[in-house]
Amino acid sequence: MTVAVSVELEPDLARMQRGRWVRLQQAMADQGADALVLLGNSNVSYATGARWSLSDPGRANVERPVAVVTADDDCPHLFTTYPALGTLDLGLPDDHVHGPVYPEFDEGAEAFARMVAELVPHGARVAIDELPGSLHRVCGLFSPGAEPTSADDVIGAAKLIKTPDELGFLRRALAITEQAIAPTQASLAPGMRQNELTARFLRAAFDLGADANILDPIWQVMPASRADGPWTTHGDIACPLLTTERELEEGDLLWVDTGISYAGFASDFGRTWLVGASPTPRQQAQFRAWREIVEAVLAVTRAGATGADLTRAAVSASDGDRRPWMEHFYLGHGLGIESAESPFIGTDLGDAYDERQVLAAGMVLVLEPLVWEDGAGGYRAEEVIAITEDGWIPLTDYPYDPYGD
Amino acid sequence: MATEVLADAQALRTARRRRALAAMEEHDIDALLLGREANARYVTGAQRLWTAGTRPFGPGCAVVRATGAVHLVSSWDEGIPDDIPHDHLFGITWNPGKLLAWLKDIDGLAEARRIGTDSLTPRFAKLLPRIFPSAALVDAEPALEAARRIKAPEEIDAIRTALAVAETALAAAVAELRPGVSEHHLAAVFMDVMARQGVTTPASQQVVWIASSPGPPSRRATATARVGDLVAFDAGVVAGGYTGEVGRTWPADPTAVDATTKDLYRQADDVWGRLLEACRPGSPCSVLLAAYEAAGHVPPPFPVASGLGLGFDTPVVTAQLPHTAAREVLEPGMVLAVTAQVTGNDHRTVFRKEAVRITDNGSEVLTSAPHWSQ
Repeated sequence: MTVAVSVELEPDLARMQRGRWVRLQQAMADQGADALVLLGNSNVSYATGARWSLSDPGRANVERPVAVVTADDDCPHLFTTYPALGTLDLGLPDDHVHGPVYPEFDEGAEAFARMVAELVPHGARVAIDELPGSLHRVCGLFSPGAEPTSADDVIGAAKLIKTPDELGFLRRALAITEQAIAPTQASLAPGMRQNELTARFLRAAFDLGADANILDPIWQVMPASRADGPWTTHGDIACPLLTTERELEEGDLLWVDTGISYAGFASDFGRTWLVGASPTPRQQAQFRAWREIVEAVLAVTRAGATGADLTRAAVSASDGDRRPWMEHFYLGHGLGIESAESPFIGTDLGDAYDERQVLAAGMVLVLEPLVWEDGAGGYRAEEVIAITEDGWIPLTDYPYDPYGD
Repeated sequence: MATEVLADAQALRTARRRRALAAMEEHDIDALLLGREANARYVTGAQRLWTAGTRPFGPGCAVVRATGAVHLVSSWDEGIPDDIPHDHLFGITWNPGKLLAWLKDIDGLAEARRIGTDSLTPRFAKLLPRIFPSAALVDAEPALEAARRIKAPEEIDAIRTALAVAETALAAAVAELRPGVSEHHLAAVFMDVMARQGVTTPASQQVVWIASSPGPPSRRATATARVGDLVAFDAGVVAGGYTGEVGRTWPADPTAVDATTKDLYRQADDVWGRLLEACRPGSPCSVLLAAYEAAGHVPPPFPVASGLGLGFDTPVVTAQLPHTAAREVLEPGMVLAVTAQVTGNDHRTVFRKEAVRITDNGSEVLTSAPHWSQ
């Protein structure tokens, strides 16, 4: 079957959720789940389409929207502090929108479990994504006789392939990020502090309509040699290191990594910048070497290729004695509902795992190889693409300045 | 914020770890396997990358009570206190098998009779008993909540620091409020001024909403403040891991505040006065819900009060958990974010959030951001 992959220019929330509902019901059927109980922010957002400003994890654990999905229903149940979110924004019927629940507390967990028991048919096979102790103690109320299975597996299977509406919203999230990065990069100068870059980036991103910042933005000053950086467990580069009030100096090599959330989608951005300097011939050569790795990987990237095809292409195109990506991360990862989601390629799950990762049309990949010459630093950036039947399409077009022609 | 990534100060670390170990003893927990960043930070004092939203459970931090040893997933030692030696660090992994093998080899874990986790997933609920067959897996949250809810003096200082940053950023955003300004822009100004103060992590990212409609708080591309609108600010930052939150409501145009709105502010002041009066050591938390009733108002749909600390702490006081509120007691050393919110018939809302420390004989308000006054 051939799947045409396209990016919807006018993505539509209701149409997106109908598409997701079909995928979700299929994944539930495939995995033998009759009902899903979803507590994780990104899972709830995927199943319901709800968007909100993600908060610090401490607060997010307590004040969280929750969703329940049952097979053969037409839409999800949403438990929220703001019922209007469900009825007005998402068009859910009144009987599918409920007040807030507090499964982190014994009293709240029991009340919630009793409500779930009424929504879920007796004897249903229930999958759940998280089991806080309070809820674990009472999950027999809605899943009698059997421990719930993993709802992450169900959502993971459903969200692997992005619909045109999803790609449309994701591209908006990426566009907001890059439109906010552009003035931030333009302001870069010796004497600025790392946290001032964060200030400029967040200001621009929120002005452009970002719902939330999803990670403390990284503007890491890279040392020329690994030995000049912190001790690491594996002897490889330490990255990402956190932002401080460190003052940037002329010639500093910055590895940038950041992302925001918009309409329930996570963006990802990565580039290498230089502070108040143009790249030396050697730095330009590093960039060219990085381009060659990316091009080699893209040349084999298409539906049906395996993760191992991509890692082999990257290694073949690389001169060095190392796999050309961070040892504690990956050559590539999926993106969309979370800032890093399946498929993961080149992780410490090993070559056999990569062989089993078969790319399919509609998947999104972030490729993040790097070139490192110990003693002379290196280059790292991220490419965001969507997989098609016969190749891939780019989802971003941010320039590589000050590198390149 | 400094110019290098530092672990939390030793006095703070020592105070917290002592409380954590004592809570483990009291709850008969031999070892902790922690996934939640706030809990990991509480016991380690290590600074790791901040991300927004909930995270699936993964046991990335271990504490063994018998030895007091702390083990942590981190591929580098930057931001890691020196009392966690290199051989107690384990590199970031995507491979649950490798993570479990690391845990299995940690001294003292195999002998633990009761291992506490701060959450679980169905997968780890299956896997952990397989590698620790002789241990009972128990819920560590009650022990950790008990440890965390009472603040050491160093923690109160950290909360004050976070509040000062939040209030400065709030003031900058309020200064930009005028008819025609967008919710987006006010949130953007808050984030900018927060980060310029050296704090690059927000606590709540809602930040601002026009509190004049029945819809949920949300920043909409089209939402701009009009004359007569009330605009609510929920200003929260995470500084040094600690949360500081303050909430205010300002009229978009202070010269156009009608009598109904003035009355709404008076009612919010009344609720706040009753809430503060109720913040006394020894009282059950339900006094905070009763304060709303006494003022003739329904408590808001979100918590009326919640502990401030590393993220959210208990007690969390909400009308949805009435028995919990009746059972929990306000104790000296707690710091609470207390919310007074009043909504009129026309959906217009005055929202106010203050940080309150419970003292030996009463309470101290830690927030001092200005209010709109008549």
